[in-house]
Amino acid sequence: MSNQKHHMGMKTLNRVSNSAIYILLIVISVIWLIPFVFIVLQSFRVESTYQVGYVIPQQWGLQNYINLWNSDFKRWYLNTFIIALAAAVFQTVIVLCMSYTLSRFRFKMRGPLMRFMLILGMFPGMLTMIILYRVLSDLGLTQANAVPGLILVSVASSGMGYYVSKGFFDTIPKSLDEAARVDGATRLQVLYKIILPLAKPIVIYTILTAFMGPWGDYVFARYVAFGTSAGYNVAVGMYSWLTNDQINNMYTTFCAGGVIVALPVTILFLCLQKYYVEGVTGGAVKG
Amino acid sequence: MKKLLALILALAMALTFVACGAPAETGGGSEGEGGGEAVGNELAGTYDVVIWAPEAAVDLTKKQVDDFNSSNEYGITVNATVEPVSEADAATNMITDVQAGGDLYFFAQDQLSRLIQAGALSKLGASAVEFVKSNNNAASILAAQAGTDLYAYPLTADNGYFMYYDKSVVPESDIDSLEAIIADCEAAGKNISYELENAWYNAGFFFGTGCHSDWVTDADGNFISIDDDFNSDKGLIAAKGLYKIVSSKSYVSASTADFASGSAVVITGTWNYSTIKDQLGDNMGVADLPSFEVDGQSYHIGSYSGCKLMGVKPQTDAVRGAALARLAQYLTGKDCQLARFDSFGWGPSNNEALADPAVAADPTLAALNEQGNYAVPQPNIHGSWWDIAKVITTDVKASDGSDEALKAALAKYEESIQAVFTMSDDVKNAFTVIGSINGDGWTLDLPMTADGDVWTSDEAYTMDAGVEFKCRQGKSWDVAYPADNFVVETAGTYYIQLNAATGEVSLVPAE
Repeated sequence: MSNQKHHMGMKTLNRVSNSAIYILLIVISVIWLIPFVFIVLQSFRVESTYQVGYVIPQQWGLQNYINLWNSDFKRWYLNTFIIALAAAVFQTVIVLCMSYTLSRFRFKMRGPLMRFMLILGMFPGMLTMIILYRVLSDLGLTQANAVPGLILVSVASSGMGYYVSKGFFDTIPKSLDEAARVDGATRLQVLYKIILPLAKPIVIYTILTAFMGPWGDYVFARYVAFGTSAGYNVAVGMYSWLTNDQINNMYTTFCAGGVIVALPVTILFLCLQKYYVEGVTGGAVKG
Repeated sequence: MKKLLALILALAMALTFVACGAPAETGGGSEGEGGGEAVGNELAGTYDVVIWAPEAAVDLTKKQVDDFNSSNEYGITVNATVEPVSEADAATNMITDVQAGGDLYFFAQDQLSRLIQAGALSKLGASAVEFVKSNNNAASILAAQAGTDLYAYPLTADNGYFMYYDKSVVPESDIDSLEAIIADCEAAGKNISYELENAWYNAGFFFGTGCHSDWVTDADGNFISIDDDFNSDKGLIAAKGLYKIVSSKSYVSASTADFASGSAVVITGTWNYSTIKDQLGDNMGVADLPSFEVDGQSYHIGSYSGCKLMGVKPQTDAVRGAALARLAQYLTGKDCQLARFDSFGWGPSNNEALADPAVAADPTLAALNEQGNYAVPQPNIHGSWWDIAKVITTDVKASDGSDEALKAALAKYEESIQAVFTMSDDVKNAFTVIGSINGDGWTLDLPMTADGDVWTSDEAYTMDAGVEFKCRQGKSWDVAYPADNFVVETAGTYYIQLNAATGEVSLVPAE
């Protein structure tokens, strides 16, 4: 009897603590979601184009998205997409090759090389901004030609970001490689037939981070593409709508732009989420 | 795609080595090239020109360039690329890389000094000076000036602020009194948007009580000193007025068109007109700023008035520079200014355009004009001043409104601005040589070392006959010898020597 009571007590306690936790989580997620909901709602507001003191639009419509289509936004979006895509492809290839080499090969100066890159990686990238601008400007890769310039910049030093994936590769038993080699596989075949399928999460993590970097880049993109709309990426282009003389005409269009920019990244993350978490933590097991 | 990009990257790498060997192109041109002394057919030709205009004005500017091509008498054809760059961002963008910047660009006048120092503007030539001075109003000419020289072409003279109000909250009878407006808004639970935590706005209170704050620049756009009396009895009156509004529960530090979100009064400029018209409809009122009362006396709040200017980047090719000067004069002329007024409501600086009936009848320009009686033309201001002066409002707001607290806020302000020019005593007392030595045009102070009262230049300089120089103390002109420039009579290599006790300057031949 008393046992039974005790059991019931536990159940109620569980329920109470669960509902408290859920309420807390709901409150947090509502707070977290408010800005996003706000932006989405504003992007469908067509009765005025400036900032207003209410959230729910009085008139709904797609005019802001039509404005986007008729502005330079298309160009900016394409620029950003090309840069991000190129960075994702090149950076992933380079990083994976680098990690495979450092994980599986033993060669002279391997240790010093890794330490050297570790130290180089400690310098903030912004430090090199001005000299990189000069180099790009001499190559003619600034302003209207900023897209190849920015690709070059984001790919150039990507080999140094090998830590996480090398860590992951180290956890895959070397005996697998050896077995494959005995069966006649080349080094390249070992990489793409044995290692990569086993390291799927880390590959996806690499692609995602490589894509995200240029996607949200503002500082460097602005510096390289200054004053030339054709070379802007979305962040720089949309920022130019926020000046005093522009904001009243462009505020809702800006919100619509924000939604469009968020879409591919959101979709990418939703699809690849489970790999992403594995990837982030997977490489951390052994350094 | 991959192949293409791989190819581009490979090419880019190869080009790096080529670029290393290529000689660097030189940027700045010499004085007067932007001014255009050349006349007639010498200018005929086709020029590729990059123009930076605010996004809204891009299409109009393209059209105006086409009109220039078909109407100019010099045979100039301009092949223009118009890029949207806000006039608020022009200097930031220009300074990134002047060589790659726009040839003609719109900018707000507060950027003038930075642009001159970056080499993005040069002195206008005589004909351009004549054009600017004969066509524009006094405030806009002043805005384009550094030292005594003109550097840019006035585009508008409407960069000031005044009051928009909601007639349903603030009755027309109250709009002249700050106290009445505050009372009305507090009673209605509405806000007053007045961006006083920004020096451009809060300085108006001080100008209203007769204070002044003037930065002195030399001809190269360098700041030499400041003449400022915000920390005075008049300044204290202004601080009391400021306290009245910032201590009100209705006060919001903003200048956006936010009638839709609870404001009944917004202090802002012409750029928000159409938005506010849209928000308030028939209830919109426009007026000059109100007056505030301290110790029974009334003070009308002042303001800054400012201009937008068009800059012409110095060109290495003098003919091209002259052609661009013609284009700039056309674009800042009467017809183009009126077209901009029609399209965006930008208030002209051109005298004839100002007399146009449509311009004279515009309500916002009328309010701006009325406020103009109390406005101070915005001179060249040291970039750090904005951050120093905005703190006055924060300090006044945090204070209890007592005389002591307000005085403390003003004293703190004065200390901060004086610190801008603080030099160590060594630097202040040291003499330096400045002049046309080394072909250097009076821009560089050459160091001297003292032995008692006798100062000798650290190096010997090779000077031609006719080279002029002076020895000055503390890099300013308060103490400088000789009274008239020292002129070298015989070419040679000399040390320069100064007896600071007598003010006597002499040349000592080097071995």
